Amino acid sequence: MDNQNGTIYASVRLLLQDMPHERGQLLPALWRVVEHYREITPELIGAVSEGLSIPYAEVYGVASFYSLLDNPGGKMPIYVCTDVMCLLQGAEKLKHAAEEAAQDEPVAVRESACLGQCDYAPAAWSGKRVLRRTTAQELVTAVKEAAQ
Amino acid sequence: MNQVRRLLPGFQTTSAPTSVERLKERGFEAGLKKVFSMTGEDVISHITASGLKGRGGAAFPTGLKWSSVYNAAGPTKYVVMNADESELGTFKDRVLLEEDPLGALSGVVMAAHVVGAKKAYCYIRGEYRDVERRMAEALQMLRSEGWVGTDGVDIEIRRGAGAYIAGEETALFNSIEGKRPEPRVKPPFPTIKGLWGSPTLIQNVETLANVAILFAHDTEWFKQYGTKDTVGTKLVAISGHVQRPGVYEVPFGMPLTDILEAPNLGGGVVGSGRLGAILLGGAAGTFLSREEVASGRLDYGSLAAIGASIGSGAVMVFDDTVDLKWVTARLARFFAEESCGQCVPCRVGTQRIVELIEQGGFKSRTQDLRELGLAMRDASICGLGQTAPVALLSLLDRPGLTQHA
Ligand SMILES: Cc1cc2nc3c(=O)[nH]c(=O)nc-3n(C[C@H](O)[C@H](O)[C@H](O)COP(=O)(O)O)c2cc1C
Ligand code: SF4
Ligand code: FES
Repeated sequence: MDNQNGTIYASVRLLLQDMPHERGQLLPALWRVVEHYREITPELIGAVSEGLSIPYAEVYGVASFYSLLDNPGGKMPIYVCTDVMCLLQGAEKLKHAAEEAAQDEPVAVRESACLGQCDYAPAAWSGKRVLRRTTAQELVTAVKEAAQ
Repeated sequence: MNQVRRLLPGFQTTSAPTSVERLKERGFEAGLKKVFSMTGEDVISHITASGLKGRGGAAFPTGLKWSSVYNAAGPTKYVVMNADESELGTFKDRVLLEEDPLGALSGVVMAAHVVGAKKAYCYIRGEYRDVERRMAEALQMLRSEGWVGTDGVDIEIRRGAGAYIAGEETALFNSIEGKRPEPRVKPPFPTIKGLWGSPTLIQNVETLANVAILFAHDTEWFKQYGTKDTVGTKLVAISGHVQRPGVYEVPFGMPLTDILEAPNLGGGVVGSGRLGAILLGGAAGTFLSREEVASGRLDYGSLAAIGASIGSGAVMVFDDTVDLKWVTARLARFFAEESCGQCVPCRVGTQRIVELIEQGGFKSRTQDLRELGLAMRDASICGLGQTAPVALLSLLDRPGLTQHA
């Protein structure tokens, strides 16, 4: 194990310290990791695997199943709903506006299936905040905020 | 006809949603006390007498489910509240939990008490972070009031992470267990072998909220609304081309037209102002024509007669300019992406449907689409594959809806 790996293993151990070390905690553990590191890399999978004593392949299998854990590149994600009810309200244009604003920023604009906010379509979600009846302008601001 | 406020708190409600005052004001505290003073059989017979059916989509009789878990053998049992809500056009559980989290959570406590579960989970979709926070607050209050905790039932919130299939009950168990959220073959059913192989009572948020208001009042009160066949009220989530998209509580039996048009419900069709169709029930719902909407009522029986179902309570409204083939193409892609891939008919079938629609094979390949749909219905393990072709087939059955496009 190289040095950098060793550091990651130690900090993941710390991150998961206060949770029961059992299989049933794998998803909550992965959430913690992705919230801390923004993405789940092979080393992080290794660290979780070691920390919770779950085989690497199993951790990988679970982590790769969920779209919210899948954030390659570790940029701040912004989810723009491009499902039916939001598309009817112009979501396609909003997505382009957000993508343009994110071009040179550490922000990744992602398309999302229905966010469960169709009463406020078009909707987007920054990972923290839901943007309701959102506009290109609001999304551009959210991109800039996320970039900070 | 008007909206009702029973599951949703009345407009005159003043207490904060997660406060002990709310628990009292809504009658949930009295309901909890009532349930704790009754025998399990008695509680279940009240639920059965109320005629309550599951609100997560399948409309399974709730009393029967409780009695099955109650009677199941085993030292350990679980209760799960399903708040994964990731179906297109569906947001009623979000609104219910935002406005009155203590209803559904009181239902969880009642359920755990009756079936003898020491542990319960509330599984909530990962995008509902604000709702999750509110739920945590409500749980904290219930804990300090002694309704939740290690002597009674311990309740844990689980956050989903963006997988539609995890809302399927057995996939949800796998998700909680730290496995891939792939559905299990049924039988055995969850009531016998659910979480970690133990008898498990899993219910939708709205179902549990119904249990809470039932015991906050009584069966007679509960039956004030609804039809002979379907008692009570239903949350509908209206979206799309209406004046007032939102979640409304309406009595079963309400004319669909009223849901769309009444001034304090949908408020009328916008967009072109002319109704094209509605998609009732969610991504695996049924398209209904203007004429069907005009004569239809929100009732399982009368909808079944036209091949439709209430499903999750989603009412997606499209004006007459929307290309419904485009809608089905989106739905098809959604199902293809969300299929867990375990069974061949679903994995291949959802892809085939996308191809057939995108190749413009809609009209000419109608027969192929139908056969594919039937094969998927009969040979898929879970509801996703079984119902993925439903909306498409409903459109094929109504050629009038795609004539202009
Ligand atoms: C693909 C799929 C997704 C589902 N998602 C949900 C969901 O998000 N919420 C829900 O309550 N039920 C969902 N269900 C239904 C559940 O499997 C289960 O029937 C329901 O939670 C039972 O609760 P009820 O009897 O109170 O309706 C889903 C089913 C399938 C096949
Ligand atoms: S029907 Fe589809 S989603 Fe369901 S288990 Fe089979 S492959 Fe997975
Ligand atoms: S379709 Fe965008 S929130 Fe539902």
